[in-house]
Amino acid sequence: MVTLFIDTHSSKLHLALLVDGIIKREIIRDDREHSTYFVSLLDEIMKLEGLSFEDLSDIILINGPGSFTGVRLGVVVAKLISYTKDIPIHTITYLEALALKYDYSVTLGIKDKNGVFIGTFDNNHECIGDYVYLTNKEQENYPKKIIIEDEIDLDRVYEYLKAKPSIIPHEVKPIYVKKIEVEND
Amino acid sequence: MNDIYILAIESSCDETSMAIVKNGCEVISLSITTQMFTHAKYGGVVPEIASRMHTEAITYVLEDCLEKAHMKIEDMSAIAVTYAPGLTGSLMVGVEAAKILALMYHKPLIAVNHLIGHIYANNLESKMEFPLLALIVSGGHTELLIMEDDYKFIKLGETMDDAIGEAFDKVARVIGLPYPGGPNIEKLAKEGVHTYSLPIPVNDNTYNFSYSGLKSAVINLVHNETQRKKEIRKEDLAKSFQDAAIDELVRKVELAFKNTGIKRLVVAGGVSANEYLKSEMNKLCHKYDATLLIPRMLYCTDNAAMIGAAAYPKYLKKEFSDYSLNVSSSEDII
Repeated sequence: MVTLFIDTHSSKLHLALLVDGIIKREIIRDDREHSTYFVSLLDEIMKLEGLSFEDLSDIILINGPGSFTGVRLGVVVAKLISYTKDIPIHTITYLEALALKYDYSVTLGIKDKNGVFIGTFDNNHECIGDYVYLTNKEQENYPKKIIIEDEIDLDRVYEYLKAKPSIIPHEVKPIYVKKIEVEND
Repeated sequence: MNDIYILAIESSCDETSMAIVKNGCEVISLSITTQMFTHAKYGGVVPEIASRMHTEAITYVLEDCLEKAHMKIEDMSAIAVTYAPGLTGSLMVGVEAAKILALMYHKPLIAVNHLIGHIYANNLESKMEFPLLALIVSGGHTELLIMEDDYKFIKLGETMDDAIGEAFDKVARVIGLPYPGGPNIEKLAKEGVHTYSLPIPVNDNTYNFSYSGLKSAVINLVHNETQRKKEIRKEDLAKSFQDAAIDELVRKVELAFKNTGIKRLVVAGGVSANEYLKSEMNKLCHKYDATLLIPRMLYCTDNAAMIGAAAYPKYLKKEFSDYSLNVSSSEDII
């Protein structure tokens, strides 16, 4: 079982190959230039393990929330691999992935330049309500305690998704959360 | 030589399109999905929405394109993609898609300039012969070039401010027509007569164009008439504007015919779908005994078949890109 993990939601581009759930190879590059390096790094990680895309058993994609462009590039590439090579794909948001580290109800946040994406989860890691984006200013008055997190536990993500059904590649959706100007009217 | 099949991807604005083109001239399949009706609500293309819709559409368009052709990606000789110019976020979706397909299927990657694509759309009709004059008229560009051979361009002139398509869209908005403005102005102009006097954009002996003055003249006219509580005859204004905008093109192409002695004219880009433009260029070409090439409507507007056509000479010359290929919103032909 070879799993390709893709996370492009933040300035940190994170790729990993897992064999039977154990991380064999990881590449992390932090420079915001995902559009330049993403596919080259995919090429590199596959070559380093002597694998071709046909060898993949499944894909795990972090589908947001975060940088619009980053999230989008991850979705485009992951669903094209899944669609063309008929490889099952699982998506999980970065907030859900973080929540797997907590076995009690928690409000988690991931920061970007101007604010924080937050989500509240119950003790079964189920999301309560919708994700929200708070600007740094809005965050000051927010009533709940927000735990700002950065590191996910890839082993837990793998275990969690193993039990879930995969999704149809056409229907892999980016999670943007932040509204764009015309939507606010 | 074996037949060359190129899978081409175009996503520079509000159309997600893929095509399979054989030997740079034969369209095996073409899929286009347009977002026009979404953007019409906002009166113009909203870049972030465009990028999101390309992302949603990409696998569906690929599926449709391959199914229509009864072909597989394995059968392709190369993957081509529009990398410039256009909306950055939109271009990125197509470029990323092309890169991952090229990587997975071990195919060469060919980067195509969208404007050059519009010119090569003519090869889908009949093979272009050189030298020729190429007039590019679209929402972002207005320029006149000499093309001496495949990918050999000499620029004669270009717009110093707005593009012609942009002027059509802005004028449409001022007289209350919905997006997309160009086709709506044309439709209205058919019912009008040229009664409003508008300035000639660049009345000189250069090959440059200018549309901001003409656009402002229309805006001022509407403003003044409204203040005087006089009714604007929209169809007449549309006709007067369209005449002024297109006569400007005719004048500059005529100058180029006279000065260069070239006997072929290619008109490319979205505005080349305009019927009045076609008939005026036809008359002009007749006068100078020149051949006029304008692709059919389907290949005039944004489509991936033209990208496959433009990729072919690059394939023959093995001008391939690597996976660090990036988009450029404003790159010109030369």
